[in-house]
Amino acid sequence: MTFSLVLQAIFAGVTNGLVYALVGMGLSTIFKGSRVINAMQGEFSVIGAMTTVLLLSQMHWPYPLAIAAGALVGAMLGGAIELAFVRYMTRKNASEDSFLLLTIGLALTLSASVLFFVGRDGHLLPPLGGDGVFILFDAVIQVHALWLIAIAIAATIGLRLFFHRTTLGLSMMAASIDADGAATTGINVARMRTYTFVLGGLLGALGGILVTPLVAVDYQLGLSLTLKGFAAAVLGGLTNPLGAAVGGITLGLVESLAIVGISSSYKDVVAFSVLIVIMILMPQGILGRAGRRGG
Amino acid sequence: MRWSWPSLAVALVVWAILPLVVSRGTADLLVFTGIYSIAGLGIGLLLGHCGIVNLAQATFYGIGAYASAYCAVNLGLPAPVGFSVGALVSMALAYVIGRPVLRLTGYFLALGTLALSAIASALFFEWDWLTGGTLGIGGIPKLGLLGFALDRPSRYYYFVWIVAFGCMIVARNLVDSRTGLMLRAMRDSSTAAASLTVDIQGLRTRIFVVCALFGSIAGSLFAHHASFVSTQSFTVERSITFLLIPVIGGATSIPGIVVGALFVTFLPELLSKLGDFHQILFGLALVAVVVALPNGVMGAVESLWIRATRRSGHGG
Repeated sequence: MTFSLVLQAIFAGVTNGLVYALVGMGLSTIFKGSRVINAMQGEFSVIGAMTTVLLLSQMHWPYPLAIAAGALVGAMLGGAIELAFVRYMTRKNASEDSFLLLTIGLALTLSASVLFFVGRDGHLLPPLGGDGVFILFDAVIQVHALWLIAIAIAATIGLRLFFHRTTLGLSMMAASIDADGAATTGINVARMRTYTFVLGGLLGALGGILVTPLVAVDYQLGLSLTLKGFAAAVLGGLTNPLGAAVGGITLGLVESLAIVGISSSYKDVVAFSVLIVIMILMPQGILGRAGRRGG
Repeated sequence: MRWSWPSLAVALVVWAILPLVVSRGTADLLVFTGIYSIAGLGIGLLLGHCGIVNLAQATFYGIGAYASAYCAVNLGLPAPVGFSVGALVSMALAYVIGRPVLRLTGYFLALGTLALSAIASALFFEWDWLTGGTLGIGGIPKLGLLGFALDRPSRYYYFVWIVAFGCMIVARNLVDSRTGLMLRAMRDSSTAAASLTVDIQGLRTRIFVVCALFGSIAGSLFAHHASFVSTQSFTVERSITFLLIPVIGGATSIPGIVVGALFVTFLPELLSKLGDFHQILFGLALVAVVVALPNGVMGAVESLWIRATRRSGHGG
């Protein structure tokens, strides 16, 4: 195991990890705001990325515009699902499990819709910043990976600022921490819940669009992204969107170092085993109790 | 809702005649309904009596299927050996994994079992010396009983369903026994139950082991029915399908499990005439069931029944 190989693995781990982080941040934003575990989070990524692919290849939209439209569709899908299903079931006091099953059903529906309307084939997006690579200590690094890292970090910081500095973000936090208290101060709690789904959909779609130049998007990608995003969110303590960023990078690093150290075929085995062990040994997530308070 | 003797007798007659009058394809689906009922029964026990969402059943289903396939094809051993090896390996694995993993609760446990299923499906794929990988293991012999070959769906149907009824009686006795009382106490208040010296972790692990046993039996039955097993049958998606069985039918109701198994076996087949579109409808059907019938089909039937009997003045 040479230094450049390890460096390459670390770089790949951070890149993949930030994608899991975006999906996981969406998941934990939704969980924080509505106590719903969203088993269709990965479908936001698939729908967002597919929209961008189709707008780019069929409608010949300019790339940045297609990306923005893809992210917007993800956000709107999130809001629509809240309005159509979650709001109704919350009013009926549905159990935790029925929300989980609802989102599993929606995930099956959306994945089947992609299969029906787009087909079986995987699609790639052009890498941001072209096909260029640069070489650092013999490790080959794609320019796109740098873009991905920069955008993901910007999104993470943006999310933190949104929750801590803006009135809307603070209102959403208030509605999730104490719904009755928030309602008495004039916050529209139901609308805040819709917004958490909009935000979750946006983050999921962004993750999907950023990963598509590296991994071809197809109708099956959603489930594996949901699993990895879920893992990232749980590692980060589930209710803390920023914890999900730390969790995602940890997961990505564990995975890519497992590829170097053991074998690429045991990637998922190692990643999920680590997840189970961390859940048992550190039920508060890797950031511990402190991580739960932040937002 | 209790079953009266006449209605039970009618159900039994319908059950006995059914494979003789339907087409081969339908009989085949009815065999799968029986197999899925067995696998779903275990998940129903965990979900309905322990509040555990088990998304790992495809793992034990796979162990049962591969044990039967490997013993019969590669080692040339008689079928009961495959069934026993699968059952023992599944139960041992469920015990060893269950002890630590079942300490988790709620969503974490659901995710933990989902992760187990993902690990198992990756290992089934990688360990091709044992499982044949994507090529699978073919040529698994059909079962025979007392010189009577169970080589057609209409014959295998009786065998599968008798095994299924046996599992249902085991599950029912478990729920009606002292263990069942402890389960109910634990589900309603685990702290109170623990203070009455109910061994919560031990109990949860025990039910998990029973669930794994049912999964493995279902898997072995599947291997001898399909004659061919490959990794595609034991994916995370299959675990999700198994979870849907008790959810759709109603986790605490044994007829509900059969309703759920009918749903996941027949609905995709009925819709498959519509091509790829049928999967969208299947997803939507699931969403509709979850939104409209939060306690499953049997839960809805039961509350309708209670309402009807109250209205007619016979009391609830």
